[in-house]
Amino acid sequence: MPKVRRARTTPPWWFALPAMLLFAFVVLVPSARGVYYAFTDWDGLDPGFSFVGLDNFSAMFRDADAVQAIWHTLLIAVAITVVQNALGLLLALGVNSAIKSRNVLRVFLFAPAVITPIVTAYLWRNLLGPDGAVNSLFGVVGLGGWRQDWLGSPQVALWSVIGVIVWQYAGYSMVIFLAGLQSVPKEIHEAAAIDGAGPVRRFWSVTRPLLAPALTINLMLSIIGGIKLFDQVYALTGGGPGHATDTLSTLIYKDAFTLGEFGYSIALAVVLTVIVAVASTGQYLVLSRNERATS
Amino acid sequence: MKTRQLPVLIAALTAGALLAACSGGTKAGGSGGGSKTLTLASVDQGSVEDVVKAFEKANPGVKVRYTTSGADQYQQQIRTQLASGTAPDVMSVWPGNGNPGATVVLANPGYLRDLSDQPWAAKMPDAIKTVAQYKGKTYNAIFGQNGIGAVYNQQAMAKAGLTPPDTWTDLLAFCKAAKAKGTPAFALGNQDNWVTQLVLYALVATTVYGPDRAFDQKMQAGRATFARSQWATALDKYLTMEKTGCFQKDPLGTNYEASQALAASGKTLGIIQGNWVIALLKGKNPQGTFTLKALPATDDPSQTLIPAAAGAGYGVNAKAKNPELALKFVNFVMSPEGMTLFVKKQGGLPSLPDTGYSVDPSLAELSKFIGSDRTVPFMDQLWPNAKVQQTMLSGLQEIFSGQSTPEKLLDEMDADYKAGS
Repeated sequence: MPKVRRARTTPPWWFALPAMLLFAFVVLVPSARGVYYAFTDWDGLDPGFSFVGLDNFSAMFRDADAVQAIWHTLLIAVAITVVQNALGLLLALGVNSAIKSRNVLRVFLFAPAVITPIVTAYLWRNLLGPDGAVNSLFGVVGLGGWRQDWLGSPQVALWSVIGVIVWQYAGYSMVIFLAGLQSVPKEIHEAAAIDGAGPVRRFWSVTRPLLAPALTINLMLSIIGGIKLFDQVYALTGGGPGHATDTLSTLIYKDAFTLGEFGYSIALAVVLTVIVAVASTGQYLVLSRNERATS
Repeated sequence: MKTRQLPVLIAALTAGALLAACSGGTKAGGSGGGSKTLTLASVDQGSVEDVVKAFEKANPGVKVRYTTSGADQYQQQIRTQLASGTAPDVMSVWPGNGNPGATVVLANPGYLRDLSDQPWAAKMPDAIKTVAQYKGKTYNAIFGQNGIGAVYNQQAMAKAGLTPPDTWTDLLAFCKAAKAKGTPAFALGNQDNWVTQLVLYALVATTVYGPDRAFDQKMQAGRATFARSQWATALDKYLTMEKTGCFQKDPLGTNYEASQALAASGKTLGIIQGNWVIALLKGKNPQGTFTLKALPATDDPSQTLIPAAAGAGYGVNAKAKNPELALKFVNFVMSPEGMTLFVKKQGGLPSLPDTGYSVDPSLAELSKFIGSDRTVPFMDQLWPNAKVQQTMLSGLQEIFSGQSTPEKLLDEMDADYKAGS
């Protein structure tokens, strides 16, 4: 019966064609053409470059700065993902409760996420200086021993950068969790309470499973954001002192635009793309399976 | 089947039209417009504006379309524009070699027009000429020069009852005395990695080039290395200064901006910087008086040299849309009027003699050193690639934070130097 066939719910494939073509020409084709340069010694300027095969990739593993930058990138991504989401969830549970002034608090906590990263980075660069507000504050409250050279010490600088990013985006995670929390029906909570479940039990057995989609989104965003991190690091420390806070992104930028080693920096960018793809696909697969299992 | 193909066709046409619109737009944006329009890209933020105004006034009907940006962003943008054929007619070009926007780097692939036939080219002093030329031809209209030294805050010095030292021994005594009074001698903003090199350059000028003015030729010929030269001594003196307390606490956590604030407000007695910092210090403390002096590195004051070098100049695009106007602009920059305007606003010194420019008293010593041939170019301007300098900058930060040693840094710099261009 032709009429039945026409009533199918999936739209015909060519509906997506204009968008796909545009995406291909604006994103895919230029990116693929860019990847080609990862196998050359192009300096970004001279049209007379040559094909060097996998040299750029093997050079990467002999380059201590690159190996270190990959570790920093992974460390930042993991630390941000864990801390930012834990904090975001706690904040969401807090402002979702019946406390007074919760609307003011929501706005207040979300505000940093609205500011341009470069602005917050410059702000913190001054707050975290040797005579900055943070050290002065420790001095005033009698915690002078906690004073640090926050951005100048190689042991502390990376954690300062992570702290600034968590400060900025914890509110962002909070909003996504909050949306998830508000979709949890009150009736289920009431039913569970009548059945004798305490607050912790209600969170674990009722809220947590229903929060799974929000968690998936939040983890995905923070992992990708953490791996690709550039602006805040560049503005806060420039990757320094030395290379103590260099991430793959800052190294790519420096190799390309300061040293003119475009071939090598594009090879680094290819590695970054692969890491992002593997990490995000992997966690998406795991979490969406969990989502199905728990819901 | 026909009805299925139609939308596909429309989609393809739409995409095609969109792409055509994009590429068309780029081309239109790149052209210079009428013959009375000059395009210019500059890194001289805060001074080029006045020069452009004066140029437009001197040439009625001419319009200069210009953009200004910081060095990092500029270098990135100009390389992309040159490679894609959309670069402006006139652009900032750094002297010598060793950075991505330098004369040699841009002249080598043929992106710059030969300016040797311009009237000012023959008048350049030798120290400037060497870094304005590539293979014997002049490509860079260098209008100003700068020097690195100790810039003292006169009021703070008077309050501390100290005078600028002129020997190495006096310098260390000066640092100790200043520290004892609670105002360290010099502000150091090593968080911005380009700042790390300035003290070292000031020391290298005297320790390396004092006994051997031909050090660069020896390096180029492979007969000298950083590690086994006076560079090691200079680096050691830099660290001795740090250990003696010549700098404020936590230089690695202090940025350029913060270091200016320290010196301007008298929390330190001075700052070791280029002469360009004087205008910035005055901006932060209009009542202050600041004087640039040579930084001593030996106990014989007559040996002291100052690193002084050509600043960024202007090159003409080999494929300029409006070459006549481009040359006119460059010649205006190199005329006494244009040069004075630029240099005065930037707080530097003119590159050509006989401009009739009266030197600011704060730069009297620098001017004297230039006049008596007691200057050496900034070290990186004669290095074969940009990597040597970048290795030095991050390496100095690593030494200051205990992640590396002077020996290791100099060996790395030698390896990068030998890698060539």
